[in-house]
Amino acid sequence: MTRPSRRDPGLLVPLVLATALLAVAVAGPLLAPGSATAGSLRQRLLDPGSPGHLLGTDGQGRDVLSRIVLGARPSLAGGLLPVVVATVAGTVLGTVAGLGGRVAAQLLLRTLDVLYAFPGVLLAIAVCSLCTPGLTATVLALSVVLTPAVARVVFGEVRRVRSAEYLEAARVSGQSRFGVGVFQVLPVIGPVVLAYASSLVGLSVVYAAGLSFLGLGVAPPAPEWGAMLDELRPALFTHPTLALVPALTVLAVSVLFNVLGDALARRVAGTGGPRPAGHR
Amino acid sequence: MRRFLTRRLLLAVPSLLGVTAVVYATVALVPGDPVSAFLGPGASPGARRELAARLGLGRPLPVRYAHWLGHAVRGDLGTSVSAQRPVTEVLWPALQQTLVVTAAAFALVVAGGVLLGAVGALRPRGPAGRLAGALSTLSVSAPQFSVALLLISVFAVRLRWLPAGGTHDAFGPGGTADLLRHLVLPAVAAALVPLGLTARVFRTALAGVLESDLADGLRARGTTRAVVLCHCAHNAAPALLTIGGLQLAYLLEGVVFVETLFDWPGLGRLLYDALAARDFPVVQGGVLVVAVAFIGINILVDAAHALIDPRVRSTS
Repeated sequence: MTRPSRRDPGLLVPLVLATALLAVAVAGPLLAPGSATAGSLRQRLLDPGSPGHLLGTDGQGRDVLSRIVLGARPSLAGGLLPVVVATVAGTVLGTVAGLGGRVAAQLLLRTLDVLYAFPGVLLAIAVCSLCTPGLTATVLALSVVLTPAVARVVFGEVRRVRSAEYLEAARVSGQSRFGVGVFQVLPVIGPVVLAYASSLVGLSVVYAAGLSFLGLGVAPPAPEWGAMLDELRPALFTHPTLALVPALTVLAVSVLFNVLGDALARRVAGTGGPRPAGHR
Repeated sequence: MRRFLTRRLLLAVPSLLGVTAVVYATVALVPGDPVSAFLGPGASPGARRELAARLGLGRPLPVRYAHWLGHAVRGDLGTSVSAQRPVTEVLWPALQQTLVVTAAAFALVVAGGVLLGAVGALRPRGPAGRLAGALSTLSVSAPQFSVALLLISVFAVRLRWLPAGGTHDAFGPGGTADLLRHLVLPAVAAALVPLGLTARVFRTALAGVLESDLADGLRARGTTRAVVLCHCAHNAAPALLTIGGLQLAYLLEGVVFVETLFDWPGLGRLLYDALAARDFPVVQGGVLVVAVAFIGINILVDAAHALIDPRVRSTS
């Protein structure tokens, strides 16, 4: 992928914001004004804007801003890691099936049919309940849900370039199947696949928060945006603004990653179209 | 057409077998067995044995699956462990509630998606088109639970215009008007993501047709803008149909969060609770219902495709 130019603020702005967000996730303990787990019961359920607590306090008197900042790491990890795993696994599956024979292709396509006929959210919930609640469960569940989508895009792209003459040339000159896949096909399909993967990050962050909201992801008292959503939900009727803080955080992060994914896809397609070429 | 439908229906069989087999295997792997979940820790060994025998847990997994499948094709999905009623009786009311939300949300998806997509395609550079594009992106990125909490906070808690949850008032007139009042917020919360996706796809499709030779030819003949738009919309309709069908399926299976936050007694919520309670027959039956609906919608979409697009008709 080419470097973002200064003339493309549509890409630069979300890229800078996403980098800043990742920096918050990495440097969270240095930035958070207070503790994520220690609270004062005398300062329960303060509304956002209270002195000393910019975003208020939760039902146990814990500072919401600190929990949001410190929750960035597990929340973003729960969204980003599954995309990484799914991209690697989906690329391997899609490339093998795309370069392989009829049997491999049919095997992949029929398996994908089955997985597509599955309720996605329910599949994630089922996989989650196979493990103890935690980040590992979230990552595993979302990787399973996202891999078929990546595999299908990769498969389509590989099929598109498979009969290209330079691949024929590589084969004739004695390069192994593995070599053709890694050195000839991957560099060509790479940008499209990466753009598609980046468009999945927003969705993945939302799913990860959703699983924690249902009590299947990161366990309390550790801060996580989806779990916070659930913790603050009972306060909705008495403190309607406070209860919205984690909800709006997830919304904003989801918008950010989707805008970034769109900008990357536009860049790759080069036509200003809203979707990468491989997206169906 | 008949051959096309037969072929598609036959192809659906292996998919359904795959889905049910995977669910059966997955559910069997879930830690915690239905016997402990239902009887609790203090149960006597005799009671445990009896329930396990009644649920057929002693036999090997493939045998249990074959047994379940044999009954399922005859419309018998077994008995719910926690409700002690036939699974079909438990699923049906929940499915009806989910269909109500899905229908309302889908109406919003189609209306909003077509409107945003058309504005975006007709005014690609103008402020209206940019606004439509921004709204589509916002809509695609709006998680069900965030939107649900936002809507409850604003319209139920602050403004007190609409109820915050449930399907009917506890003490009220009841009836359709009451149901509709309760339906507004859940439908909007469920509709936003599919609405945004539909708007994007329709925009791309319509913009493509508006730039094509067809549109140029019509304009060159002096056809009015409205008629040009009608012809182009017809040509963009297959894309709308495909994405609409996908989103309908997505709605049917994906409203767990909306149902949780609005206390809506639908299928998603039922399946989540059933999984937590290790009520495997309900999970298995519910996933089968959703998968059948998903595959059925896909077949209908393809059939409708052939009806509105002569090119598909001639090749199939």
